[in-house]
Amino acid sequence: MDFDWTDQETAFRDRLRALLADTLPDDWERFSQHGPASPALTRYAESFCGTLAEQGLLIPHWPVELGGQGLDPWHQTILAEEMWIAGEPRGGQYMNVNWIGPTLIRYGSSDQQARYLPPIAEGKALWCQGFSEPGSGSDLASLRTRAERDGDQYRVTGQKIWTSYAGLADTCFLVCRTSDDRKRGISILLVPMDTPGITVRQIPSLIGEGDIHEVFFDDVIVPVTARLGDEGQAWEIIGYSLTNERLGIPRYALARAALDRAVSILKAQDEFDGEAVKIEAAHCAALTEAARMASYAIVDRRAKGEAIGAESSSARFATVMAERRVCEFIVEYLPEALADAHPYLKMHHQRGIVAGIAAGAAEIQLNIIATDVLKLPREPR
Amino acid sequence: MDLSLTDDQVAILDAIDTLTRPYAGASLHEAGFALPDAQLDRDLAEGGFLDIGFDPDLGAVSAALVVERLARLPQTVEAAASALIRPLLGGDLPRPLCLVEEGRTTRPIRFLREGATVLLVGSSGVSTFTATAAQVRPEPEALYGYPMATLLTVPAERTLHAIPASEVLIRWRIALAAEAAGLLAAALDSTVAHVIDRQQFGRPLATFQALRHRLAQAQVRANGVRWLALKAAATLDPGDAALAALHAQESARATVYDFHQFFGAMGVTLEHPLHLWTYRLKALIGDLRGRGGQGLAAAAALWP
Ligand SMILES: Cc1cc2nc3c(=O)[nH]c(=O)nc-3n(C[C@H](O)[C@H](O)[C@H](O)COP(=O)(O)OP(=O)(O)OC[C@H]3O[C@@H](n4cnc5c(N)ncnc54)[C@H](O)[C@@H]3O)c2cc1C
Repeated sequence: MDFDWTDQETAFRDRLRALLADTLPDDWERFSQHGPASPALTRYAESFCGTLAEQGLLIPHWPVELGGQGLDPWHQTILAEEMWIAGEPRGGQYMNVNWIGPTLIRYGSSDQQARYLPPIAEGKALWCQGFSEPGSGSDLASLRTRAERDGDQYRVTGQKIWTSYAGLADTCFLVCRTSDDRKRGISILLVPMDTPGITVRQIPSLIGEGDIHEVFFDDVIVPVTARLGDEGQAWEIIGYSLTNERLGIPRYALARAALDRAVSILKAQDEFDGEAVKIEAAHCAALTEAARMASYAIVDRRAKGEAIGAESSSARFATVMAERRVCEFIVEYLPEALADAHPYLKMHHQRGIVAGIAAGAAEIQLNIIATDVLKLPREPR
Repeated sequence: MDLSLTDDQVAILDAIDTLTRPYAGASLHEAGFALPDAQLDRDLAEGGFLDIGFDPDLGAVSAALVVERLARLPQTVEAAASALIRPLLGGDLPRPLCLVEEGRTTRPIRFLREGATVLLVGSSGVSTFTATAAQVRPEPEALYGYPMATLLTVPAERTLHAIPASEVLIRWRIALAAEAAGLLAAALDSTVAHVIDRQQFGRPLATFQALRHRLAQAQVRANGVRWLALKAAATLDPGDAALAALHAQESARATVYDFHQFFGAMGVTLEHPLHLWTYRLKALIGDLRGRGGQGLAAAAALWP
């Protein structure tokens, strides 16, 4: 075993840090309190992602023939860590490069790839993901938004909720029902958000302006050619996408950075003094590092081309535990961070508190660990 | 021992329920993080509910009951310090009463605004002053369920009170625990209603044992905090007060995550009132140096 980074990986991280230092505006920490889905950050992300694209740092992990450099999952992880630690200046575009693009590369038609991949690679696209519905959160397979086939088009009717980025997105990765079969009746449509019949309403939220929305589909006409994969193939495709997304956000890295920042502030204020605060900080660090290693173990296997299963749920829950404890540490020992005193820590709090919900609730991850890792028999239904 | 409410206490709580009933249905849409209510504040003050602690026959237990009951409302009013600590200071100090610990004056302070009474407590004793606009920076963007402000300077000129700091700290801890008890109860009620109502996988969330046990534990915690707060209010003993506050802060920490978790994404909207209770609990967690502070105080009192 070797726990060190290679020289090439270290150089890659240094290059990213230098670029961030050169590119981000002086008031970035305050600015980044706007959530990744806020209009302000979305606008900034357009120029930032353009810069990344010019430097070959937007999609370095994509295949060479699609404009990437074929860098391995370790580099992808380093990229994701540095961006997330910096407050995710790519805004919603992190989703494009992490999983929308790779999903299109794997399942998209050549027309779809030609239409959607270049704008992603140039940093000019913004997608939203239409999965959750008012009646279908954890139980995604119960979704009811309907796509009725009518010749060479679909007529889509229904409602999505909690949709990040919907207010400004150009395209929706829409999961909808094409037949009554619970899982095999679900299909994916790639729908331009300016299609007539789509209405977006912002939901006021604790985590800031512009983050979550309701999206209403009222007789929206979508050509059959906009379907990703086959009719009924959505469940398989989503499985692929979500594995990418769940690992996509290295939350442990920001949690650790926020913890380190909090401790340095407490030290400067002579408040890192008692045993209680030190021991609690150490617990937090243990959790962030346990989550980091659980994630790295998966990256390692991905880098070696091995298939990843339920272990990603274990890594994900480890980050939920870490995020929770770090958020609580800061609330308890540095409460002014949630006022105006330390924008970086407030930014972390706003992103950290949804760790157990966004991209699938933590209890569902626990069910997966129990069933698929521990092989426990299921609860009787 | 007799753990029933007295007739007077029953009457007081009934009167509070009657007075606050019209407020329960207030529109929460776009309420923001805090929902202060000046009219409710006036109604309570005029009704004498915040002065109950001045009456020796009613005393701190009745004051704590009032604080606990008011904390269940979606609206917030500065009741805890006024009801439990003002009687110690005597006289007619203007409300709200804002508590500040020496050495921690940079913390955001609940209800602080121009004209508020600021009570500073620490090794140099107990003193108060009336905040001026120049001393206060409002924190409208703070992620807490109370109106918050930062104290920019502490004036040298303050009214000294000839009471030991330890007395104030005892009552601060009781006030904190009583308020937390009400907040915990309200957040729990709200979460319970949600998991009964919300269905996933063809059944109410409430039928998943993973959630049931955690909610049942929250009930045990909320109940424990309430009893420790009331007992401490009765004994005014430093150990009892520290235990009550310790249990309150630990319980707030342990349950706030779960309450939000069980709401799913609904728990991050401002359209549901949950945050009005949980983001107040978050503000109480750091008081008086958090659990570490209460733990040390409790140990010192219990095993000197
Ligand atoms: C910030 C944010 C951004 C989001 N962005 C998007 C987006 O862009 N697109 C999108 O489609 N969705 C998005 N979501 C929605 C997210 O995917 C859902 O919130 C998540 O899947 C959970 O669904 P729910 O909110 O309906 O909670 P519910 O499914 O109602 O769950 C509530 C609670 O019940 C628990 N529970 C449910 N079933 C079980 C069970 N079988 N056993 C034990 N416990 C259970 C859950 O774990 C949770 O604690 C976002 C959410 C957030 C918070």
